[in-house]
Amino acid sequence: MTQNKVVEVSGLVKSYRSPMTRKKIEALKGVSFSIYGGTITGFLGANGAGKTTTIKCLLELAFADQGEVSFFGKAGLSNEAKSKIGFLPERPYFYDYLTGREFLVFYGQLSGRIAKSDIATRTQNLLERVGLAHAGDRPLRGYSKGMLQRIGIAQALIHKPEFIILDEPMTGLDPDGRHEVREIIREVASQGTAVFFSSHHLSDAESLCERLVILKKGELVFEGRTDHLMSQVESTWQISFQNPKALSGAPPEIAVATTLDELQTQIDRLRASGSVIRDVGTKKVSLEEIFIRMAFDPKSESGR
Amino acid sequence: MNAVSIIAGNTFREVIRDRVLYGLVVFALMLLFLSLALGQLSFDENLRLSANFGFAGIHIATIVLAVFVGSSLVSKEIEKQTILTLLARPISRSQFILGKALGLMSVLLVVAFSLSLILSIFLFLLDFSFTVEYLIAVAGVLFEAAILLSIAIFFGSFSRPMMTVIFTVAVFLLGHWVDSLSYFVSKSDSVFFRFVGTGVSYLVPNLERFNWRAAPVYATEIPLTEVFNATLSMVGWVLVLISATMLIFRRRDFV
Repeated sequence: MTQNKVVEVSGLVKSYRSPMTRKKIEALKGVSFSIYGGTITGFLGANGAGKTTTIKCLLELAFADQGEVSFFGKAGLSNEAKSKIGFLPERPYFYDYLTGREFLVFYGQLSGRIAKSDIATRTQNLLERVGLAHAGDRPLRGYSKGMLQRIGIAQALIHKPEFIILDEPMTGLDPDGRHEVREIIREVASQGTAVFFSSHHLSDAESLCERLVILKKGELVFEGRTDHLMSQVESTWQISFQNPKALSGAPPEIAVATTLDELQTQIDRLRASGSVIRDVGTKKVSLEEIFIRMAFDPKSESGR
Repeated sequence: MNAVSIIAGNTFREVIRDRVLYGLVVFALMLLFLSLALGQLSFDENLRLSANFGFAGIHIATIVLAVFVGSSLVSKEIEKQTILTLLARPISRSQFILGKALGLMSVLLVVAFSLSLILSIFLFLLDFSFTVEYLIAVAGVLFEAAILLSIAIFFGSFSRPMMTVIFTVAVFLLGHWVDSLSYFVSKSDSVFFRFVGTGVSYLVPNLERFNWRAAPVYATEIPLTEVFNATLSMVGWVLVLISATMLIFRRRDFV
C-alpha cells in the first residue's frame, strides 16, 4: 500500500453493561484495521456487529476499554486531528431551529479550519453540491429525511476534512439521492480524502470501495482490498441444458456447479442422459453473497 | 471566535427561537400588567403592591426558565444525538458544558433585564423613587437563577429531564428554607435531626440571601458587604457545580 495511513486502529476492546440485566456485553473484541488517504473504505457488518461502537470509539464519543487509535501518524484524538475529520452519524438529528445555511456556518465556525470570510462561500457551494440551494434559508424542521441526510453530509464536508466518517450515509435517500452521495464520496476521495463509511447497501459498497473492513459480532473477519475478497471466493458455473424428455418449446433448465470437478461431472452426466448443453457460463459471486456467508455462516470465522 | 462562544451563541439562538420562552415572557408580562391593576385595588399601598407583584413576576419567569430550560439543555443534545457531531469537532466536553451554560445564562440576563425595564417604566408612571437597590434586587434574581441553572445542568448531565426538574425544584424549595432549617436545628434536641439538618444546610445553597426584592419596595438600604458576600457565594456555587458537571461528563459514553 503506497498511500499514507490516515487512521490506525489496534486491538480495540469495548464492553457495556446491559441497562436491564446489568450483564456485560462485549461489543468489540480486539478490532484492528487501517484507513488510507484517498481511499474509500467500506465498513460492513450485520446489525449489532459493532460498527457504530467502533466509530464512536474512534471519535471518543465512547471510550474503549483497551486498544489504541492513531490519527495522521499521531497517537490519540487531538483537537488538531479532530479539525481534519468530518463525521455524519447514523440517523442524524440536527438543530431544527437553524436554517440549512446557519447550520453549515455553525459547523464551519466550530471546525476552526476555514477563514471566517470563506465560510459563506463554502456554505453556498456545498448547498449547491448537495442539491439544497433552494432550501438553504428554510429551518431544518421543515426538511425531509433525505434532505437532512444531504445537509448532514454537507456539514461533514464544510471544513474540507482529510478524513470523513459516514455512518449509514445512504439511509433515507431515494435512488437519485444515493447516486448523488456516491458521486460526492468519489469526488472527495479523488481529492485525497480518506472516506470510511458504513452501509447496509452492499451494492454501494461493492461499486464504491477499494477496501473493506468487515465485522462479525465485534470481531474483525476481513480487512483488505475489495478485489482480493472477491477473488478469494470462487465463482459458480451455470449450465443451461435442454432435457430430451421435456415438452417441445419448454425453456432450458439450469444446473449449478461450484467447483471445476463438479462442472465436468455435471456435463458428463447431462450428456450421458441425452441432454443438449446450450450454454455454460460463470456466475460472479456478489459482495452481498460473500457478506452473507461471512456474517452469518458459523464456519467462516476468518476471511483475512 | 472560540468554541465556547460559538456554542453559547447557538444555545442563545436555540432558546430565543423556542416557543416556550415566548409563553413564559407573555406570562411574565401578564403578571406585570396585573401588578398595575392590583395596585389600583389598594387604598394606600398601591405602589408597593405593584412593585412587589412586578418583582414576583420577574422572579418566577427567570427561575422557571432556568429550571425548565436548563434541565433539558444537555440531555436534549444527548437524546437527539446532536452532541455527536458537536463533540466530533475540535472542542472539548468542558467547552461544550461551559458554552451551553453561558448561552442560557445570557438568555436569563436578557429576559430579567427586559422584564425589569418594563416594570421600571410602569413604576416610573406611578412615581416610584428609584435607587440602586432596584438593580441589586434584579441582580439577586439573576444570581439565584444562575445557581439553579447550574444545579439543573449538573443533574441533567446524568439524569432524565423530569428527574432533573424534580431535583432542582427540591433544591429551590430547600434553598429558600435553609434559614428556618438552621433555626430549627439550633433549637432541636435530636442528634439525628441536628446531623441531617446541618448536612442539608451545607449541601444546599441558601437562596434567601439573594432575595433583595423587598429593599427597593420598602426603600431600605442593602449593605454592600452583603451584596459582595452573596456574589462570592453565587460564583462559588456556580464554579463548583459546573466543574462537577464537567468531571462527570469527561468520560461519559454516548451510546
